[in-house]
Amino acid sequence: MSTILQLLVSGVLIGSVYALMSIGLTLIFGVLRIVNFAHGEFLMIAMYGAWAISHWLGLNPYAAAIAVVPAMFLFGTLVYRLVISPGLDKPHLVVVFATMALSIFLQNAALMLMTADLRDVPPIFARSIAIGPIYIKGELLLGFVITLACTATLQWMIKRTYLGKAIRATVQDGEAAMLMGIAVPKIFLITFAVGSALVGLAACVMLPLFSVFPTVGLNFVLIAFVIVVLGGMGSIEGALLGGVCVGVVQSISGYYVAPAFGQLFFFLLFLVVMIFRPNGLLGQKGAAMLGVNE
Amino acid sequence: MTIVAAAEGATERVSWLPRRGRISWFEIALLLACAGWVGFGFAPSLQDVTILTFLFGGLALSWNIAGGYAGMISFGHAAFFGIGAYASTILLLRYDLTPWIGLVVGAFAAAIAGSVLALICARLKGPFFILSTLAFAEVVRIGALNWSSRTGGAEGLSIAPMPSLANMVLASKSGYAALMLCYLAFAYAISRGLEASRFGFYLLAIRDNDEAAAAAGINPLVVRTSAMALSAALTGIGGTLFAQYFLYLDPTYVISPELSFQFALLPAVGGLGTVIGPILGSFLVTPVSELLRSYLGNAAAGLHLVIYSFGLIVVMLYFPSGLAGALDKIQRRRPPP
Repeated sequence: MSTILQLLVSGVLIGSVYALMSIGLTLIFGVLRIVNFAHGEFLMIAMYGAWAISHWLGLNPYAAAIAVVPAMFLFGTLVYRLVISPGLDKPHLVVVFATMALSIFLQNAALMLMTADLRDVPPIFARSIAIGPIYIKGELLLGFVITLACTATLQWMIKRTYLGKAIRATVQDGEAAMLMGIAVPKIFLITFAVGSALVGLAACVMLPLFSVFPTVGLNFVLIAFVIVVLGGMGSIEGALLGGVCVGVVQSISGYYVAPAFGQLFFFLLFLVVMIFRPNGLLGQKGAAMLGVNE
Repeated sequence: MTIVAAAEGATERVSWLPRRGRISWFEIALLLACAGWVGFGFAPSLQDVTILTFLFGGLALSWNIAGGYAGMISFGHAAFFGIGAYASTILLLRYDLTPWIGLVVGAFAAAIAGSVLALICARLKGPFFILSTLAFAEVVRIGALNWSSRTGGAEGLSIAPMPSLANMVLASKSGYAALMLCYLAFAYAISRGLEASRFGFYLLAIRDNDEAAAAAGINPLVVRTSAMALSAALTGIGGTLFAQYFLYLDPTYVISPELSFQFALLPAVGGLGTVIGPILGSFLVTPVSELLRSYLGNAAAGLHLVIYSFGLIVVMLYFPSGLAGALDKIQRRRPPP
């Protein structure tokens, strides 16, 4: 019994960390209607950034977020200006291929600069926290708390602030929003940059848990895609739910079957959801038709 | 007299530059040049590049049947490539069956997998379709990695490098170049036939507006499934040829997402939904990437792919209709005959 409980708790915690990494992807998809195939490489770069700060400056990786998050915001702005925005008025495929090429570019630039060695930081918490029969890794618990705080802040921002309202108006009808005086291209730029900044935050949370290497993004981006689609593309609370599902599936199947099959199970879960609920678990009706080239 | 007239009629139907549903002198000349290149054994040091260029040209044409004509952008074609490669290799190693037959078995197996994928994705479009194909290939990859009793798992499978025509292990590189050119020509013939056929028009109709196509009496599910099966079968054949050329295969390469991206990028660079596009895409991109790899690979790991992907970003953003689109523009400038 306590094994199951332990597995569920670890699954939920790791899932919430996965969710944090996916929120940027779902936000960008929801507003710009594009899938950023270089999302995993954004994470990889941010993880290297956090690693460099904690390794060379001796700072705590969580403290590195102060530098990494704004840096990723700027990086997102740069990528939007150079790669995304020139492709937005072209056929849908152009952005798909351009971001894919960008992911190859970033991966290999990292390989050149950082070599293929695995880099990690020493554990932050010396021991796991014991709550009754359950042991919890401090890093995971902290990640869980940060994810919840981040989701709540983002929800508040989107529901209450002027920027959030402008974003929602753009999502509902870009042309009408433009006629109402909302600078839609600027909203796109800000959304893309905020999405990238969120990846920066996720990287700081993930660095104490995972090592970083040039192709680390590929593993995580596939998980992020699964989460985002499970939760319904564009839905932030959906990403949280999708993340928890993936985390639980991974931890339970990893324990009872084999760790190697854990991934197999969530890809199968993904395909099953695609067959029976293509709109995702929380996605609104018609979500599966978003981003389809007219 | 009639023969001359018929020949004249036939040559009149052959255009100078590539066009939809027609053979052009450009393609004939290109094919002859390739055959000459292989036949005379030019540039022996470039033979590996030549072989890969032809192979990837055929693979790009295969991908283009699903991705270009039918609009089913798949990032999971490496699964079919892997299935073809593993089917023929396992049959060769365990049952001593010649790859010439294994190739057909592999093509069938890949076609079945392609139909399954098309059925899974029947209701999906745009990014959802793309992501599902990616997940499908990952399932196949993890499956192949863990089913080690048959596939050798992460260690992979090796074919004994003993030249024998019966086992499709050729002694010379020019033999392989000829084999890959045959594959390219086969994929070309299928694509041209498809363009001229009723089924080819169904594909375009489904791609451009599936509701209108369905209203006109085309069954989108059947058409999509058969297009994906055909594309997968051809990709599977490419997989077998690859295995016979490299004599080694492991899931991390033959079923990698990177390989799937490559299959999709070549037609995208050349021009989607055209016959000449995927060929030009491979003829341009494969040699560049292979030469960059051989010149820069030792100097700095990753540099060749940095340059290569930078070029791809520029091409995608500024020439979105590919090289074939550029050829079309040249053609339109001339007055119609």
